[in-house]
Amino acid sequence: MYMKPGVGVKDIIVSDKLCKGCYLCIWACPWDVFEISKERNWRGVKKPVAVRLDQCRRCRLCEFYCPDFAIQVIIDEEEEKMLKEVEEKYEKPWLPRVEERDRIVKEGVWWLED
Amino acid sequence: MFSERDFEHYLAKKYMRTEIMPHAFCPGCGLGIIERMILMAFEELGEEEWKRTAFVSGIGCSGWVPLYFRRDAAHTLHGRALAFATALKLSKPDLNVIVVMGDGDSMGIGGNHLIHAARRNVDLTAIIATNMLYSLTGGQMSPTTPQGARTNTTPYGNIEPNFDLMKLLEAAGATYLARWTTYHFVQAKNSIKKAIKHKGFAAIEIVFQCPTYAGRYILGKPDPRDMMDWFKEVSVPLGKAKTMSPEELQGKIVVGEFLHRTDRPEYTEQVYKIIEKAQKKGGR
Amino acid sequence: MSLEPGVHLMQGDEAVVEGAIIAGCRFFAGYPITPATEIAERMSYRLPQVGGIFIQMEDELGSILAVIGASWGGRKSMTATSGPGFSLMQEGLGYAIITETPLVLVNVQRGGPSTGLVTLPSQGDVMQARWGSHGDYASIVLAPSSVQEVFDLTIKAFNLSETYRNPVIILADEVIAHVREPVKVPPLEEIEVVERKKPDVPPEQYIPYLPKKPGEWVTPMPAFGDGYNVLVESVMHDEFGHRIGTDHAAANRTIRRLWYKIEKNVDKISMYEEYMLDDAEVAVISYGSSARTSLRAVREARKLGIKAGMLKLITLWPFYDKKVQEVASQVKAIVVPEMNMGKMVREVERASKGMAEVMSLTKVGGLLHHPDEVLAAIKRVAR
Ligand SMILES: Cc1ncc(C[n+]2csc(CCOP(=O)(O)OP(=O)(O)O)c2C)c(N)n1
Ligand code: SF4
Ligand code: SF4
Repeated sequence: MYMKPGVGVKDIIVSDKLCKGCYLCIWACPWDVFEISKERNWRGVKKPVAVRLDQCRRCRLCEFYCPDFAIQVIIDEEEEKMLKEVEEKYEKPWLPRVEERDRIVKEGVWWLED
Repeated sequence: MFSERDFEHYLAKKYMRTEIMPHAFCPGCGLGIIERMILMAFEELGEEEWKRTAFVSGIGCSGWVPLYFRRDAAHTLHGRALAFATALKLSKPDLNVIVVMGDGDSMGIGGNHLIHAARRNVDLTAIIATNMLYSLTGGQMSPTTPQGARTNTTPYGNIEPNFDLMKLLEAAGATYLARWTTYHFVQAKNSIKKAIKHKGFAAIEIVFQCPTYAGRYILGKPDPRDMMDWFKEVSVPLGKAKTMSPEELQGKIVVGEFLHRTDRPEYTEQVYKIIEKAQKKGGR
Repeated sequence: MSLEPGVHLMQGDEAVVEGAIIAGCRFFAGYPITPATEIAERMSYRLPQVGGIFIQMEDELGSILAVIGASWGGRKSMTATSGPGFSLMQEGLGYAIITETPLVLVNVQRGGPSTGLVTLPSQGDVMQARWGSHGDYASIVLAPSSVQEVFDLTIKAFNLSETYRNPVIILADEVIAHVREPVKVPPLEEIEVVERKKPDVPPEQYIPYLPKKPGEWVTPMPAFGDGYNVLVESVMHDEFGHRIGTDHAAANRTIRRLWYKIEKNVDKISMYEEYMLDDAEVAVISYGSSARTSLRAVREARKLGIKAGMLKLITLWPFYDKKVQEVASQVKAIVVPEMNMGKMVREVERASKGMAEVMSLTKVGGLLHHPDEVLAAIKRVAR
């Protein structure tokens, strides 16, 4: 783990889907990387934005304290690739269930017919 | 490469039912941090351990914790999680059975099952999420509400003393005990890891922030960040607490690993020994 | 090993145990209570011999949850209790129903309310067995009237609970539990035992509460640890087991299936016995211990030239309207003797739609009806 400033991280992603705007990440960050966005996103949340990426020391404290699994420090391409793999292997196989759910809602179930 | 629109953290992608997320907890609720502690413990324990794990929970905000894990989980009745878990462990002794309960769930309505599971020393990992009140029902007094605190059922201040879970369970016969807060992220995760590996009844109390009710009613701190600061301020490590007087410890949260003993027989093993004995005798 | 084929002299409580073991029961959790204690006692001795698990729980709230937990651990499981314990189990029973957990619950009825008549029989719980837990659901309830029936129905109860993934309640009473009678145990291969169906699709394709084909009312049930990531959810859920909040359409689907899977299969679930009904003008409709004295009275009545017959209900719930209607359309009057203040008689009245006069013959205080009492009632309505 690097603790020097300016070693650079590729990105800090904050999810629109998951972030609820509690700002525990901002509280947890010792290096003042974040600021609160001026704009509300489509869920009505003013998300934290990593405006000072160059200050990030890769300590990941923001990740640890985010209760909503909404934020991730992505250090480099390597990590991005690993994330993609995890998504393919663990998450993707289950996603057709969402369509199945919608289908049930739309088409109904046999025991309610007649 | 990733769109922020529907991004989930690595742990969520790997272990959680992302199709039903975001979870239903309030913004800043510590239950999400407890979820993460559990998942990080498994990240270190490895996939084999995860595959042979099952979750059981009671009713309360805290009972929702395991429902987001892509794993077998039973969301039982208020207070009854340990009874279900005991039988599950007996039926499938190879499973790691992890039980998540609230403070009211475990020490209030479920108190009887709690002390008896500890007395039997069943190989379960009980994670008790304490927020100092009943939150799913909207902020009423629980067995851990501080004396004097106002809640929706103690409008004139709480007159009831608290349970000290660590002392209660030590007396009852538990064999691994620890208490942390959501502020003590790494320590709690390590204790969870130890507890899963421990053979016998292990309980970890995690005091977590409920900004919505405990924050507003008990502490006057509706912001989760202030509650985290408060946890940092009032928690006292066990070693230091031993040198402090009861007066000094008033209003403090003593944290640490309270007990780790290996001298008591574990219940599931005993039950299977009985079966062996009965079968050897061949009936009569 | 299970009981040798042949004839054995047994108490009703023992017959429960031996029947359960033959049916494949390998888990029992319970709490001592008269007059069901002997079931727990014998289970504690017999189950370990066949590799099963016995646990004496701290209370009945825990017992029923333990039985549910063991069922999801892949074992056929049961508990046994009486009045006060049955009341404590009602919430857990609801949990078994909404999560479609097979289990068998034996309630050896004693007199109530409350601690009540500890050592005396009653049939006071017939409505509680149907409606005791809150909310909308259907129940399967069986009432044995001899030790042989206790044995047979215990096996049947396990089969029904596995077939419909629903708890099945056996309503015995103190008399049946403690009386000793010969029980004929057939050779094992002649006994039908229904085994639990496990899913045969990969976990990602398994939808825990969606039976896909019409008529297939329940889905196969994996155990914990089989890799299916099931949610055993007490909160109202959709077909995936996901909590649904206020989605009333999903709740409607779930509640109706829980109801229909039982009520629409009433023809398959219902068991009854008919005695001398062919030309009867007066019918006695009875169940459990009451059916024993009733049958005697019906025979006496025949000797006196009264055309009496009897319908013995073995399945109490789902209530078999069709059969009762058929009887009502054929006779002048129906007598319903029960060891309570008149409970199933309401169902009989409802189902007979005024086609026959219905008379309730109540009995409380812990005594069986005397056959003369039933006979007197038959005479009265036959006039
Ligand atoms: C038998 C029963 N009584 C009452 C309730 C209502 N109830 C639901 S959650 C809850 C309290 C939860 O408090 P706690 O266990 O501390 O968990 P938290 O919500 O604080 O995490 C109560 C009283 C219930 N579900 N079942
Ligand atoms: S901690 Fe998580 S949920 Fe809270 S503001 Fe930061 S990213 Fe959003
Ligand atoms: S009420 Fe409290 S415990 Fe419940 S989700 Fe909200 S913050 Fe968390």
